[in-house]
Amino acid sequence: MSSPKQQAPDPKRFEVSKGTLLLDRVMTQVIRFGGLAVILAVFGIFLFIVKEIVPLFGGAEGKPGKILEHAGGEPLVLGVDEWGELPFVYGGGDRITLVSATDGSRTELEVPGLKDVKVTATAYDPVNRRVALGLEDGRVGSFVVNYTVEFPEEGVRKVVAAIVTEPWFEPGAGSGPVTALAYGDGGSARVLVVAREVGLAVVRLAQKRALVGKPKLAVVGTDDLTAAMEGRVVRVAASQNGQAVLVAEDSGKVRYFQSAAGKVTEVQVFEPFPGSPPLRMDFLFGGVSVAMTREGGEQKIFSLFRPEGSGERVFGETKSFEPLGSGRPVFAPSLRNKTFLTGAGGALTMRHLTSGATRWEGTAPFEPVLAAFDGKSEHFFIAAADGRLQGYRMEDPHPEAGWRAFFGKVWYEGGSGPVYQWQSTGGTDDFEPKLSLIPLIVGSLKGTFYALMFSVPIALLAAVFSASFLPMEMKRVVKPAMEIMASLPSVVLGFLAGIWLAPLVEDRVPSILLLCLSLPLSALLVGVIWCRLPMKSRRLFEGGREWLLLLPVLGTIAAAAWALGPVIEGMLFVYTDPSGREIADFRLWWPQATGLPFDQRNSLVVGFMMGFAVIPVIFTIAEDSLSNVPKTLTAAASALGASRWQVVRTIIIPVASPGIFSALMIGFGRAVGETMIVVMATGNTPVTSWNIFSGMRTLSANIAVELPEAAPGSTHYRTLFLGALVLFLLTFTMNSFAEILRQRLREKNKIV
Amino acid sequence: MESKTSSFATTGRSRKGEPFVWLTAAGLAMGVVLTLGLLGLVLLKGVQTFWPARISVMEVEGANGPEKVAGYIVQERDRRDLQGVEHEEIQIFRGNRELYGEKFAFLDRSAIRSEELPDDLVLVERMEGGHVIARIKAIAWADGTSTPVEAGDFTSRLDVLLKQTEERRKELRSIEKGEIGRNARRVKELRAQEKIEGKSAAIDAELAKLNEEFLQLDAKRNALRGVLSGDVFLLEAVDGREIQIEAGELLHVFHPNRAGLFGRVGEMIRRVWEFLSSDPREANTEGGVYPAIFGTVVMTLVMSIFVTPFGVVAAIYLREYARQGPLVRAVRISVNNLAGVPSIVFGVFGLAFFIYFLGGVVDSWFFPNSEEPVFKSGGILWASLTLALLTVPVVIVATEEALAAVPRGVREAALACGASKWQAIQRVVLPASLPGILTGVILAMARGAGEVAPLMLVGVVKSAPDLPIDGELPFIHAERQFMHLGFHIYDLGFQSPDSEAAKPMVFATTLLLISIVVVMNLAAIIIRNRLRKKYATSSF
Repeated sequence: MSSPKQQAPDPKRFEVSKGTLLLDRVMTQVIRFGGLAVILAVFGIFLFIVKEIVPLFGGAEGKPGKILEHAGGEPLVLGVDEWGELPFVYGGGDRITLVSATDGSRTELEVPGLKDVKVTATAYDPVNRRVALGLEDGRVGSFVVNYTVEFPEEGVRKVVAAIVTEPWFEPGAGSGPVTALAYGDGGSARVLVVAREVGLAVVRLAQKRALVGKPKLAVVGTDDLTAAMEGRVVRVAASQNGQAVLVAEDSGKVRYFQSAAGKVTEVQVFEPFPGSPPLRMDFLFGGVSVAMTREGGEQKIFSLFRPEGSGERVFGETKSFEPLGSGRPVFAPSLRNKTFLTGAGGALTMRHLTSGATRWEGTAPFEPVLAAFDGKSEHFFIAAADGRLQGYRMEDPHPEAGWRAFFGKVWYEGGSGPVYQWQSTGGTDDFEPKLSLIPLIVGSLKGTFYALMFSVPIALLAAVFSASFLPMEMKRVVKPAMEIMASLPSVVLGFLAGIWLAPLVEDRVPSILLLCLSLPLSALLVGVIWCRLPMKSRRLFEGGREWLLLLPVLGTIAAAAWALGPVIEGMLFVYTDPSGREIADFRLWWPQATGLPFDQRNSLVVGFMMGFAVIPVIFTIAEDSLSNVPKTLTAAASALGASRWQVVRTIIIPVASPGIFSALMIGFGRAVGETMIVVMATGNTPVTSWNIFSGMRTLSANIAVELPEAAPGSTHYRTLFLGALVLFLLTFTMNSFAEILRQRLREKNKIV
Repeated sequence: MESKTSSFATTGRSRKGEPFVWLTAAGLAMGVVLTLGLLGLVLLKGVQTFWPARISVMEVEGANGPEKVAGYIVQERDRRDLQGVEHEEIQIFRGNRELYGEKFAFLDRSAIRSEELPDDLVLVERMEGGHVIARIKAIAWADGTSTPVEAGDFTSRLDVLLKQTEERRKELRSIEKGEIGRNARRVKELRAQEKIEGKSAAIDAELAKLNEEFLQLDAKRNALRGVLSGDVFLLEAVDGREIQIEAGELLHVFHPNRAGLFGRVGEMIRRVWEFLSSDPREANTEGGVYPAIFGTVVMTLVMSIFVTPFGVVAAIYLREYARQGPLVRAVRISVNNLAGVPSIVFGVFGLAFFIYFLGGVVDSWFFPNSEEPVFKSGGILWASLTLALLTVPVVIVATEEALAAVPRGVREAALACGASKWQAIQRVVLPASLPGILTGVILAMARGAGEVAPLMLVGVVKSAPDLPIDGELPFIHAERQFMHLGFHIYDLGFQSPDSEAAKPMVFATTLLLISIVVVMNLAAIIIRNRLRKKYATSSF
């Protein structure tokens, strides 16, 4: 204490040690970096999801290859192998020319049996790479170009072609040279459509099993259709499966013949372009749609579908495309999906049948007369009359995608009109995914709507009571209990909805309706009666304990309503079965009365259980904002003689209304994204109806059900990501808006 | 509504609008009743599955004359048939699947002629085929002798048999899973090595040795199996048909009608313990949920290991280091709102980013020779990370609140004493806000434990052969798929082939999951209330 140094402390004492400063600096950097990294990572989710979606909206990309030479002369048939490496050209002689796409080298292959004959008509089947030939003497035949891959040396890959000839047939009808030809190969049953100078025949072929050796192709039957024609036949086409045959006459009429069960029958006559026959008539992948192209480039799609109210599938116009322009049109269908390459006079465009979108556009260095795709839709080739040939590499991973496909009405092949439809997987190879998000969005909104219908009244009424009337000691229990409710796993609610509630409610719908009606009415009634009671008894349940008194009353009413349900059912919901017997059953009555289905796992059940998940959310937030209304305001109102309800109605609710609104929005956000309850408590069928007794499929449930099976990077996979993004944006904007509202309210109340 | 007396006369409270007050009271009453009702339902149904019911024998009017049916009542219901006639029905559990095909039966009350509770009926649990309800006749031993139920030493010999069987089963399991499993893994490793390095004498020699070892183990296993199936437990169903159970199948024998209150409580405790501690059997519909509990706990813990530091650092940055302004406010609102983004969206992200992207990178770096994807498929690590992302906003928000609640004065006092910024945070602010942070972490864990939808995309399975942590090197298998209580509920309730038989299990699992979540939430609430009290007294 008596130290002499006391008056002058050592200045070193106030110096901070280097270690502390260093640590401080390091921690500042660490926290800055860590904090920013976490925040960026969290927002990176959004960017990553967007990144997965972007490719959906990119068009196709085509890269032209070298210009090659095929043997001169006008090519009649252009074919491509599966890998797009060795296209061939047939010009009508006795040999085909193979052109290597890599080095441009040409090789010729002789087709046996074509010496000394004159080919007057050809047709090409790109799936089997079959060239069908019609001769001057009326005979028809075909040969197939088979490709195989050989590895002559280690690491060297070589595509080799070979020719397999097939027998010649006499069509046995008409006379004169063959003028037009079409070949449809449906595997076991095939058709050859032969138009001759006079007459038209459909030759049905089949593989006949021989006793010894390979199965032999033989004629099963020939249908002479000469009598059915009015004018001259200019063009014929057959679908890949050989079931649909189209014949165009010079008058512009097109006749549709169906070949099924060993019979060829005329089904329909239509006129795609009044007055003039189509210049091209090409079936698309799947054999359901045909593209008609007219002189001048006008292009229309005709698809087979059942018009409403009729049983037979006929062709009808489903799409029309922009004219191609002048010049000779070329056309090549993809063998993978519903895109096709077309163009005229050197302009090329890739179009998608279903969406009607143009996927790609380009200009060829010459005027092509033929075009063909490879088996994987990754390459196509175009050939000119002057001997030039060019290959293109196409990249179009998501042809089915696009804004119109996701959010617009689309006329799918085989449908009788444009629809919103979600059906991502199908059984057959030529199945086309239907990727409209609208049914899912409607499903999400439907579930949310019914959940809010049930939860909003209860949550808001409870919040008003809890904030304005409930004594503090009860509030201290009720609020945390509600918060715990908010964190109940939704899988539990979903399980209860599906296993317990759905069967319980199924045959008790009238009771439920009665409950919804009687409970609020009886509460009001109790209130009215209560006011008439003498003061003495009213003092027993003073201020804020009313709800306890209501418990037994509401319990009794609920039990009564539950028991009375079947009685109401017997009075109001009587179903009359076909034999005239009357059965009191709501489940049967509802479809009869409204024409809408009744499912066991329906929106009522989902709404009720999802309401459970939403009630605590809405309650907590609304209660907070109602409780935070400044006491000065309510006290002033009470001092002016307002009754307690008047204080609530005129002061508390209006002041807190932005908070209540934001509570509703957050409740909406919770319900929209709810997954497990919907997965477990609905049938998960995508529908666009608002029928309360049917199920739905929501965006979130759809992701949960389908994403584990979707191949990464596929259109389906990316579309599910788009669904997730829609959900993300929907809830994020809703919540942000609600949050801003709430903050405004807080500031406003502070000022007051 | 205007009364004769003025509103001041009625205790100063007007009657205006009073019915509406009652309407709001009804809202609260319904909210509370629904909440409690739901919890009560789960509690009741969950406890019911463990409570040993009495088994009654009923004589029922059947199509071929009267028939004896034994079982316990599962539920009662009124069913209306298509003719509109009401039927009072009971659903009973009758077991003995090999005799009746179905474990459950519906009986019309009016068809039941008589009902009794014979005390010699037993409920037998076995490994496969579900429960058996029958009378014991005898045990036929492997040596040809038999002990009838009337014999004096029957009970003691049965006990010995049950114990022995249990031990042998354990031994068998350790051979199958431990030694044979190790053998198979080593063979697989060697084969992979052979593929890379080519055939070599050393590998061939070891493979031959392993094969020999396997043959020995297999012989040992078969011998044990033979012993286990030697003794046979003979029973007789109430309709007189015989049931044989090999000793190896036998798990537990219980006399439900003979047991008193203590016996039944004891049995209930045993069932609860079995539920918590054993592996599932019979396509998850029997046995326990131990792997699912383990998976849930490990996943939640791993998640909290990730989420706590990152969430806290982000919150400290936002509250203490970032310059407060519109940008930080916008970030804060957004972080807050991320908590409201549907969980499935996080699952979608987890699948694409963690599994397909990160997992692909990890696999190509560390496991280029593996035939199956190692990290490029769902696993507990990716699931935990996905849930960490999902719950990080919860922790950020809670930590920020806790940091904001530390009084300014405390901070300023620390700084005035010469502490650096970090020192003030480390020594003063963080300790003071620790309970708040803890609350946030517990809430995050509760949310994470109950979440199922994102897990379905990132690695949860209905039946995982191995736990994510076990005695095999390297002990922690972050790439393994795992079981989860929430998914167990979904799978049992909706994917199970025999949904009726799965029901008790689902309710029990539900009760367990709800208990975990509620306990966690209660802990968070209690900590929060303590925190508030602390600040109420320590404010300056």
